[in-house]
Amino acid sequence: MSFISRVGATAGAVALSGLLAGSAAAVDLQFYFPVAVGGKAADTIEELTAEYVAANPGVNIDAVYAGSYQDTITKTLTAVRGGTPPQLSVILSVDMFTLIEEDAIVPFEDLVKSAEGKLWMSSFYPAFMENSGTGGKTYGIPFQRSTPVLYWNKEAFKEAGLDPEAPPANWDEMVEFGKKLTKRDSNGNVSQWGLRIPSSGFPYWLFQGLTTQNGAILANDAGNETNFDDPAVVEALQFLVDLSTKHKVMQPGIVEWGATPKAFFERETAMMWTTTGNLTNVRANAPFDFGVAMLPANKRRGAPTGGGNFYVFADSTDEQKAGALEFIKWITAPEQAARWTIATGYVAPRPDAWETPAMKAYVADFKPALVARDQLEHAVAELSTYQNQRVTKIFNEALEAAITGTNTPEAALKEAQEKADRILKKYR
Amino acid sequence: MKPGFDLDRLLNTLGAWALGLLWFLPVIYALWTAIHPGEFATRFELFAPLTTENFVNAWNAAPFARYFLNTVTLVTFILIGQFVLCTLAAYAFARFSFPGHNLLFTLVLLQLLVMPDILIVENYATMRVLGLVDTIVAIGLPYIASGFGIFLLRQTFKTVPKELEDAARVEGAGPLGILWKVYVPLAKPTYLAYGLVSVSHHWNNFLWPLIITNSVETRPVTVGLSIFASVDQGVDWSLITAATLMTSGPLLIAFLLFQRQFVQSFMRAGIK
Repeated sequence: MSFISRVGATAGAVALSGLLAGSAAAVDLQFYFPVAVGGKAADTIEELTAEYVAANPGVNIDAVYAGSYQDTITKTLTAVRGGTPPQLSVILSVDMFTLIEEDAIVPFEDLVKSAEGKLWMSSFYPAFMENSGTGGKTYGIPFQRSTPVLYWNKEAFKEAGLDPEAPPANWDEMVEFGKKLTKRDSNGNVSQWGLRIPSSGFPYWLFQGLTTQNGAILANDAGNETNFDDPAVVEALQFLVDLSTKHKVMQPGIVEWGATPKAFFERETAMMWTTTGNLTNVRANAPFDFGVAMLPANKRRGAPTGGGNFYVFADSTDEQKAGALEFIKWITAPEQAARWTIATGYVAPRPDAWETPAMKAYVADFKPALVARDQLEHAVAELSTYQNQRVTKIFNEALEAAITGTNTPEAALKEAQEKADRILKKYR
Repeated sequence: MKPGFDLDRLLNTLGAWALGLLWFLPVIYALWTAIHPGEFATRFELFAPLTTENFVNAWNAAPFARYFLNTVTLVTFILIGQFVLCTLAAYAFARFSFPGHNLLFTLVLLQLLVMPDILIVENYATMRVLGLVDTIVAIGLPYIASGFGIFLLRQTFKTVPKELEDAARVEGAGPLGILWKVYVPLAKPTYLAYGLVSVSHHWNNFLWPLIITNSVETRPVTVGLSIFASVDQGVDWSLITAATLMTSGPLLIAFLLFQRQFVQSFMRAGIK
């Protein structure tokens, strides 16, 4: 549908609903969605949207593929500043503060008035709600959410004389297993590494697994204070660096994200940390028996959550906001959430989705799908602050400096904290 | 005469081959990966089985037929628009003097210094006012008044001897007649060179088309290509290389066909 006719239809609908107050108004909604897990996810979203539209005459939803997460926030912010925001969008949960600062989104408390609606808002896993709101308001509804887990190659474990059913439970075991799993020839060339924790692009995410396990929290709820130079964070970074330099169980330098599943399939690594968004991919392509486990513990178990939330945009009519809310309620309902999880590997965001027959059948057939859900009780909010892009970039650069050995973990993190303080000062 | 062994020439040839191979290596890798099954993406075996499956899968992953049509429409529209506008502007700057001539030309040159990405929000707002959001015209419009094109053509027109223009005037040609009969034919190599740069740039442009369009009917191939670059799930090299070859293929072929004129015209435009 072209822009003009869409605006025309909306204006017509609004005028009509004004005339025939009380009758159901036709609502046109535009919905941006990002895709981070291949074409199939886009098909599933479009399918679900079409189904909803077919079942609800009077609502028209234009689902627009908006590229990667990064592209989606760019496209959305451009549209917001240009005066034609979408009515709803899936965007990274960590971009919440950015959207709030732009006055782009509305809190769900403004839309949900009924007691039943309030109940709906409390039906999601608390771990996912942690970075879906601030200052007592809820701005995001979890949908495309993930968390990192550990995948291991059971055959490689057997070859190394390890119990193929026992993944490492803590850091010491991970190092010990890793040493046994790393295969070197007489020249010292490695044909199989013990472990792979990807660090390209956005190293902070998996690193947040390590800091959480070490008892540190990277940012406060208000999003205006970071703890990058906390001794526990420094220790975690030292451990990450040591995996390559001291224990020699991981390939040195920056480890690519995109190539990591392939390296796992090709037996270049026996264990990998990566997102649950990969579950369906690994299941389809691993040529050996594999296992999925929670990330190993140190002082505690821990992992960040990740992925995208639904947001509703401020610059829409009340009818559109109500229509967007109804759609979000529907697509995050147990049946739909289950279908979404089965198609992609994302973690269904509410407990009752796991009780649906489809999900039960899926889980019975594929136990590893439960690991991510069970890990949620140990999960914390993904690092998110005001000026999130800039602050995480500073943090990423510090991590990269330490991983590549151009700076010590302590000095790099101290510098990052100072830079972050300078940016966040005005939000305190 | 020098002795038969010419070191300078040998080094030149070797250097050219080395650079050529370096440039070509990724293309060779892409070709190899695209026509073999996924297991061979990182392994070289001379007699690995061949397959066209990657291309079929890539083609079916997005409505590429429509995307190709959109891209071709888009680059044609931009190219025609740029040729018309830049020719007229360049002619005015090269051969006419009018008040504000220098100021205007400086403004045009300033455009070369501004990164187009900075203007995305501003351009979006303009397209919205014009009611053009989600149209192919909206993707192309901000690029029609190309500072680079105006500058390049102006420089070319300046090199045309005044005598030719005078001769045409004696024959009774008006200003537009002179432009059409004298300047445009003599600037043909420049048009060709500029055309290829413009086409390849807009063929590959991604961010602006993604932002300004919302539907399959308006989006170019680059947006279709982007669905393969999904880090969360790991990168499927076979599929990505097949899709890349498929989308860049028409351009590569066009370049090979025109490469002689292309290189020559750039040398001419540069020397004069």
